[in-house]
Amino acid sequence: MTAPAAPVTRAITAPAPSDSQPPLRRRRKPNLFSTLSRVLIALIVIVQVYPLAWLFITSLRTEHDFATGDPFALPKAITFENYARAFETGNLGMNILNSFIVTMGANLLIVLLGMMAAYALQVLGFRFSKIVRSLFLIGIIVPVQIALVPLFIDYSTINLLDTYPSMIIPLAGFALPMSIYLFSSFFEYIPRETYEAASLDGAGPYRIFGLITLPLSVNTVVTVVLVNSIFIWNDFIFANTFVLSEELKTIPLGLQNYIGAMGKTDWTATFAAVCVTITPLLLVFLVLNKAMIQGLESGASKG
Amino acid sequence: MKKLFTAAVAAAAAIALAGCGSGGTTDPSNVSPTGEVKPREISWLLSRPADGAVINIMKKLADDYAKDHPGFALNLITTPDRPSYIQKLETLAAANKLPELFDTDATPFAQQLAKQGKMVDAEKLLKSLDVYDDYRPSALDYQRFDDGSLHMIPFQFELEFIWYNKALLQKAGVSAPKSLDDIPAMCTALRDAGITPIAIDGQDQWPLERYVAYQPFREAGPEFIQKLKKGEAKFTDPAGQKTVEWLAALGKAKCFQDGFSSQGYSDAQNQFTSGQAAMYNIGTWELPSLATDKLNPDVRDDIDFFTLPTTEGSVTKANEFVSPSGIGMAVNAKTYDPLVSDFLKFALAKYPAEYAATGALSPTTNVETAVPANATPLYKKALEMANDLGDKQAMPWDTQLDPTTNGRLQQELVLLVQGNITPEQFTTTMDSTIAQNAPKFFK
Amino acid sequence: MLPNRSRLSVLVFLLPPLLLYGIAVLFPIMQSLFLSFFSWNGISDMEFVGLENYVRMLTADDIFWRSFFNALGYLAICLVLQLGGALLVASLLTSMRRGRELIKTLYLLPAVISTVAIAFLFVRIYSIEPVGLLNQLLHWIGLGALERPWLSDINTVLAAVSAPEGWRFTGLYMLIIYAALLSVPQELEEAARLDGASRWQLFTKIRFPHIMPVWITTTIMATTYGLRGFDIPYLMTNGGPGQSSELLTTYMYKTAFTSTDFGYASTIAVFIVIECLVAVGLILFMLKRKADA
Repeated sequence: MTAPAAPVTRAITAPAPSDSQPPLRRRRKPNLFSTLSRVLIALIVIVQVYPLAWLFITSLRTEHDFATGDPFALPKAITFENYARAFETGNLGMNILNSFIVTMGANLLIVLLGMMAAYALQVLGFRFSKIVRSLFLIGIIVPVQIALVPLFIDYSTINLLDTYPSMIIPLAGFALPMSIYLFSSFFEYIPRETYEAASLDGAGPYRIFGLITLPLSVNTVVTVVLVNSIFIWNDFIFANTFVLSEELKTIPLGLQNYIGAMGKTDWTATFAAVCVTITPLLLVFLVLNKAMIQGLESGASKG
Repeated sequence: MKKLFTAAVAAAAAIALAGCGSGGTTDPSNVSPTGEVKPREISWLLSRPADGAVINIMKKLADDYAKDHPGFALNLITTPDRPSYIQKLETLAAANKLPELFDTDATPFAQQLAKQGKMVDAEKLLKSLDVYDDYRPSALDYQRFDDGSLHMIPFQFELEFIWYNKALLQKAGVSAPKSLDDIPAMCTALRDAGITPIAIDGQDQWPLERYVAYQPFREAGPEFIQKLKKGEAKFTDPAGQKTVEWLAALGKAKCFQDGFSSQGYSDAQNQFTSGQAAMYNIGTWELPSLATDKLNPDVRDDIDFFTLPTTEGSVTKANEFVSPSGIGMAVNAKTYDPLVSDFLKFALAKYPAEYAATGALSPTTNVETAVPANATPLYKKALEMANDLGDKQAMPWDTQLDPTTNGRLQQELVLLVQGNITPEQFTTTMDSTIAQNAPKFFK
Repeated sequence: MLPNRSRLSVLVFLLPPLLLYGIAVLFPIMQSLFLSFFSWNGISDMEFVGLENYVRMLTADDIFWRSFFNALGYLAICLVLQLGGALLVASLLTSMRRGRELIKTLYLLPAVISTVAIAFLFVRIYSIEPVGLLNQLLHWIGLGALERPWLSDINTVLAAVSAPEGWRFTGLYMLIIYAALLSVPQELEEAARLDGASRWQLFTKIRFPHIMPVWITTTIMATTYGLRGFDIPYLMTNGGPGQSSELLTTYMYKTAFTSTDFGYASTIAVFIVIECLVAVGLILFMLKRKADA
């Protein structure tokens, strides 16, 4: 467990040059507290990074090593055979594409509708806004499993089963409240004067939305998209319930291709597939991370 | 508020509609529909390995059939994970959207579907296709409901053995058990020698549930579970008490690996094939990993198997044990038409030969299973056991009990074996659970 | 409120989200509520039973109550890990000057990994035969007496399944709290420091009160997510051994899809919704009173 985490540890424990310290803390030399806190942070980071590293290492193990060896030791030999098998048995490319379509579609709805609702609730305001707000709160609270049978029956009545929308609609619906909350708290942060000035210039609610609110919310949009993508990319329950055809299967359903007779699973191939399928998410995640963190911070700190 | 009320009424109506939509005038016993064969796409909702023999063969047969019947296609919708599959099947059944073909065990839920006339009578169907007599009687019996009716068609035939490691048994100074009652003492000896006696997949629940079925099957025959599930027999009966006491003894002797309840299928098998565990109870579907050169060379020469031991005064014979024919395929009565019938006729006639060629046991007797080139001698020995089976078979309890009782039994079994509850507590809990739930399912 | 808004513009912005939300969430919930007064196995005719399901749940179902208390325990552990961990790491981060961004990113990583892989890994970490990471560590640091099959021991399993769930999403909460801590005015802290306030006093008297609103929000988020926790316990132990790690959500799922008792499952779902509402109400009440005091 040391190999992948080592560079990280070094980066964290490297002493900070003292000249960059703000005046307040100058006199506090590296004392017991800061040493302790660094060690603690290093430990916590190892705990957070380890599973991903373990997953990757395991996906490189030979089947024999996986079956007989210590799961936590370094592999005796490295093989890419699991990846070959993962691609051969599964339909990873198509699964990734489907997950991508569903994630994008749901995100589009979540962002656009979330922003609109927050705009109506927070910026425009109206008499029953409190009631509507609490109505949306219910969505944060309800366990999704219970909606399955009713939704399935509803979708089969309107012939929506086995389509992209049958996954996108419930995913977006259940994520909408959190998105509305994040946008609302961000909109609160935009000074009233900005709106009032625009209003005096004769801008109506639509122009203000397009010219002020929308461009100012880019950070929050990134945040909402990434937080939701994590959940949607890995959603199993809606996809398993509403998808029937092979061509529409998303990644979590595709991972079932490695399950054999009586539940015997080809774990090394599964992990190889997991590594492949989280890569797109991880890339987007790392690249946009900075924007996301800023978005989340500016949204939340005003919550 | 008024809007809310209207919505609630609409919601109610939508569900009520689906709930009552069980109608349909098709007669499930009419197995030879008349009319023209009009090719179209049909679907099979199934729970089998995506890259397994059944799916590969049926895909190929469907392609062959489509050559003569342009426009035909077989859409295979597989959900290999069984709990996820069951959720899907039930959701589709609730919405009245079951496809032409679907997989199910002979569970009480399936029996209710059959009672509502949603499944074609498979016995009549197989007879009309003139293949009924090809099937192994025990393969068909496994699929039957209690009333003897047959609504599912088997695609496999498996035998369950207890595989063991001769070298480890020798090291502990014990031999393969003559009687089920020998096993606890055997485990103690193995534990003393530092060996895990039995590797078991506790996560999937069914493997431990096999063990509860063994003693009653020997003591009282296959009828015990049929009575027990309806509340006509009880765990307080002698056969019931015997299995409860035996399981408690297995637990006390630490027969299963420590912490087995959360260990999965591969974990258990790996413990056995890596030579850490002495015994492993599994069926012939694992022959490719246990009886070919894929098996770890370190243990390859030490592996053997025995069938379910008998007991003193056993009412069933040594050649009668668990021989399941896997999850069966039901034919939806509502969508059954000349095309489905014609395709099944085509596919069921060709399936056995193709299946046997993969090295697996066909549910029929008209073909010879090919032994793969990389097989060890055990492979053939295992297959030959199928030629000499008795008339009775031990049914896995998970397909027999009503689902609520079954879930509770699986949970309480772990507690009993781990020693968290006493045999008395187990008996009381289970008998009252059956009394509470059985009437709903077995009216 | 915007001066130039019209009733129409409010509707234009509000209706589309309400429509989606209504179709995807509210409507099925109402259907569930409706189902809770019926006995229905999915394929038979529905039978109106009035309050029978509710009476059975509250008076005659020992597994229900067991799951309820388990869910509370599960919630408590998740909250401690998520909020406590988040607060701790966020506080530590503010005292660092380098590598903050990197650590924040790394801290979020576990959220990306699919649940199946996480469950699989933790089963191995907790394992005793063959010996897993946790038992190995205990052995090394001389606490060998504590070694046990964590997921099979009925006394430890609940904590063992809560930990991965708590750990997974700490990063998200940490980010929110960290952002709030950054917004604490420097002048306030400095003034307190000059008055000789200790680190602890600084935290309890200045920082924490300042982030109170955010703290309430995160607590509500974590509580409702905790009460809805499902997949990790379901995958790791399926509620076992016995009912030791059965939660209301896993019990509801099994009632619906294993026992095909959709009416009763809906009743449990209604309870979960009410339970969440009560929890949110309680949190607001307690924190408000504390703030007023």
